[in-house]
Amino acid sequence: MRKLRAWFLRLGGLFGKERQERELAEEFESHLQMHIEDNLRRGMTAEEARRDALIKLGGLESAKERYRDRRGLPGMETLLQDIRYGARMLRKNPGFTAVAVLTLALGIGANTAIFSLLDSVVMRFLPVEKPEQLVQLTRRGPEPGHVGVPSFTNPIWEQVRDQQDVFSGTLAFGAQQFDLAQGGEAHYAKGLWVSGDFFRTLGVHAAAGRLINVADDQRGCSGVAVLSYSFWQDHFGGAASALGSAISLDNHTYPIIGVAAPGFYGLEVGTKFDVALPFCATVIFDGARPRLDHRSWWWLSILGRVKPGISSAQLRARLELISPRVFAATVPPNWDVTGQKNYQKWVLTSAPVSTGTSGLRRQFERPLQILMGVVGIVLLIACANIAGLMLARAATRQREMAVRRAVGASRQRLIRQLLTECLLLSTAGALLGILFARWGSTLLVHFISTAREQVYLDLSFDWRVLGFTAAIAIITAVLFGVLPAFRSTRVSLTSAMKGSLAVDPERHARFRPRRWIVAAQVALSLVLLVGAGLFLRSFVKLVTLDIGFDRANVLMMHTEARTAGLQPEKWMATWDEIDRRLSLLPGVLSVSRSLFTPVSGYEWNQYVHADSPNPLTGEASLVYMNAVTPGYFRTLRIPLLAGRDFNVQDTATSTKVAIVNQTTARKHYHDMNPLGRYIRLEEDQGKLGAPIQIVGVVRDSKYESLREEDYACAYFPVTQAPGFGGGPNFLIRTSVRPSAVLSLVQSTVVGVNKSISIQFDTLARQVDDSLVEERVLATLSGFFAGLALLLVMVGLYGAISYMVTLRQTELGVRMALGAAPGSILRLVLRDVVIILVAGVAVGTGITLLSVQLLQSLLFGLAARDMLTLALAAAVLSLVAFIAGYIPARRAARVDPLVALRYE
Amino acid sequence: MGDKADVWQGTLALMVLRTLDTLGPLHGYGIARRIEQTSENLLSVNYGTLYPALLKLEQEGYIASEWGLSGNKRKAKYYKLTRAGRKQLEREIQGWGQATAIVARFLTPKEQSS
Repeated sequence: MRKLRAWFLRLGGLFGKERQERELAEEFESHLQMHIEDNLRRGMTAEEARRDALIKLGGLESAKERYRDRRGLPGMETLLQDIRYGARMLRKNPGFTAVAVLTLALGIGANTAIFSLLDSVVMRFLPVEKPEQLVQLTRRGPEPGHVGVPSFTNPIWEQVRDQQDVFSGTLAFGAQQFDLAQGGEAHYAKGLWVSGDFFRTLGVHAAAGRLINVADDQRGCSGVAVLSYSFWQDHFGGAASALGSAISLDNHTYPIIGVAAPGFYGLEVGTKFDVALPFCATVIFDGARPRLDHRSWWWLSILGRVKPGISSAQLRARLELISPRVFAATVPPNWDVTGQKNYQKWVLTSAPVSTGTSGLRRQFERPLQILMGVVGIVLLIACANIAGLMLARAATRQREMAVRRAVGASRQRLIRQLLTECLLLSTAGALLGILFARWGSTLLVHFISTAREQVYLDLSFDWRVLGFTAAIAIITAVLFGVLPAFRSTRVSLTSAMKGSLAVDPERHARFRPRRWIVAAQVALSLVLLVGAGLFLRSFVKLVTLDIGFDRANVLMMHTEARTAGLQPEKWMATWDEIDRRLSLLPGVLSVSRSLFTPVSGYEWNQYVHADSPNPLTGEASLVYMNAVTPGYFRTLRIPLLAGRDFNVQDTATSTKVAIVNQTTARKHYHDMNPLGRYIRLEEDQGKLGAPIQIVGVVRDSKYESLREEDYACAYFPVTQAPGFGGGPNFLIRTSVRPSAVLSLVQSTVVGVNKSISIQFDTLARQVDDSLVEERVLATLSGFFAGLALLLVMVGLYGAISYMVTLRQTELGVRMALGAAPGSILRLVLRDVVIILVAGVAVGTGITLLSVQLLQSLLFGLAARDMLTLALAAAVLSLVAFIAGYIPARRAARVDPLVALRYE
Repeated sequence: MGDKADVWQGTLALMVLRTLDTLGPLHGYGIARRIEQTSENLLSVNYGTLYPALLKLEQEGYIASEWGLSGNKRKAKYYKLTRAGRKQLEREIQGWGQATAIVARFLTPKEQSS
């Protein structure tokens, strides 16, 4: 305690210097005076009295110094001294400081930005109470190898909720988009269906009003709405009057009863909910077959808060115990006997969910980890540059070091001083870097957002990000500071005091570490260049891929009549009318409709039985399907290879017909002519549907994603597709930019029916958006590789320039003795070539060892692609050679007289 | 400064506390003279080492200081014992007594045998 108290007082002693100094002087002054008076009384002369008093005190200044040491903390004091001195040195060299701080800020900023993204996507806990207690339930088949699936039906949820005894609370939720507009262009809100206990179990509080509770979630309810805080701010300006007012969702209105706490975005990382409704309100949306009693509508997720003291083994055992009862009570009646038997063998399992659920995480965890590695390497290269600069500066500071050594500073003290300077630099870099990172990570989030998926991430810096940045700053300082600090304090006093570089016996040795630093930079940047090259080439391959349809100039319009109060009988006629009117618009070449649009991520597939000699079965017989109107293939410019397109004679009552793609023809019919043959779709659990006649064959085109290969597809006329018609997508091929006809199209739809909701996109953008991962990787790795290349250029240029300066006299002598400029040039360039060859060789080794990690993210190219490697090495060598050539040529052109007179 | 100085530092604190206990508030010069006199000039205090020792005791809260006037109207900094200082003095006296007793026991028999 006493020690601590003293320490704090001494810490305080670092401040208020002036008053303390004054008091110290006064105290010693009075001491001396009293002593002198005593001495005088004893008969000494005035001179003697003063001398004796001073001697007894042990010298006034040294006594004061001893006192001062006790007053403050000597270590702290030297640190402050070092910082002040360091800051002064950095101010004296504004050019060096600016370059170093900026380089560091870029490096540290990039690292912080990627890390903060990784943090918020992968590591951050959910914004709820005690997230570590939460688990998510999954269901799996009885065999150990089966993977758990996290989706459930409402009957299962009710069973789990009522039967479980391991959770202190359970909750369930499902997501759905709602249209806020009442007809016309759609404005979507992200809806969250929640069980009555949702907010209470999570421990989320209301920012205003109250949240949904168990009483709100009773069968037959009329529904209430809770807004997210950000939605309340954006749409109601945070007005208190929003409470009690009504919100329209898909043309149903609900009273707003409250607003959730500001930080709560929901449970899925990467999105945020706008409005939450209780489960019981689904009935209002579902109509005839409500999902609440539906036993094969898998729309919700279940979370539980584990009771304290329940081990994971107990949890697993209890869930296994209740599983048979839960599943026996909820068997789907429409499944066949084997299906039902298997269903009852299912087991409930659980997985920790403290960081939330996330599709975004699945999509971007790997790319983010790779980018983290990339920016890490960039920072290393930046460190190497600064270490090079420090080494060069060390040469110019030789005299300073020598003088300080000569007046008694220990080498440790000088090293400490130099490292403090490095820490100052890296701290400045880190502070600026944090600014860059804030801006960079926001930019990145925009970058990974698409038209359909607006990504939302909580990017506020938490302790983890700040700790990471601090750690990076320290590591950086050590990396670029230690070698130069040791080097530059190893001074030979005599030669340094003479102020001559030429007589420094170590001047060649001085250049050696710098050469290896630059070689290491070359090696690392080769790794980055190869990585960037691979991502770039994969991306280009995907963009220029033959996707089988023409994406340019196609306007897509998603329409929705189910929420518009339009009778289902009138749907087809309404769509046909819109179709007819749209095709008459100027600038419109053709119009068609389909259930799905290509590469939208939606799919419909079924097993198909073909009437061929040896028909496929099981997984191999899976066919991807779509329902389209006549003119679909013409609009997308998918060539019809045989047979005919659909036409108006294909009605609900006429012969059932289908058009298949080449892959279906090849796989299912083994290259026989499929025209006129029949396929039958496998319905629920093995039953076969009515035969469908194949009337045409079209060329293959991408169905779900650009990466897919050999998808067998079949198309049906919309008139014969069951369940189709409430929300078709219009595809409109235009002769002008799609945006030019947008308002005309919109007014045409409103002219037919103003309550139909519509949403626009273009096919080109949809295809683009499906490549967001690849684009992010290609762009960012390209950007960082470019940055690395620039850093290497600067590093090499600096190193060779420095070497030329060191050898100026030698080169002058050589020229004076008759060496041709060409041979001088060769002499210098030999160093460049050595650095390059060493760097590229090592870089190639590292690349070949590590690049396999990228394979799963590449498309149409092997990770060890030699062409990419060769190109990267060539680009790097060329750039590096130019950077080295400039100072080399300058050396060769120097006037020998000037070079010699330099001494 | 070697081991001797450490002992000196420790005993110096004890002597300072003891001096303030007997004489009441006193300035640095007075404390130094008093220690010299008590030791009958066997200990010649380097006055310069006294002040850091005073500061240390003050930082530890055993003594307190304030400015006052000396006998001949000179401004001087006076030190006085605090309650914690008095307790510390008792502890130190006890400790010192034990230490000397132990050392004495080591020394006595040797003197006899030789």
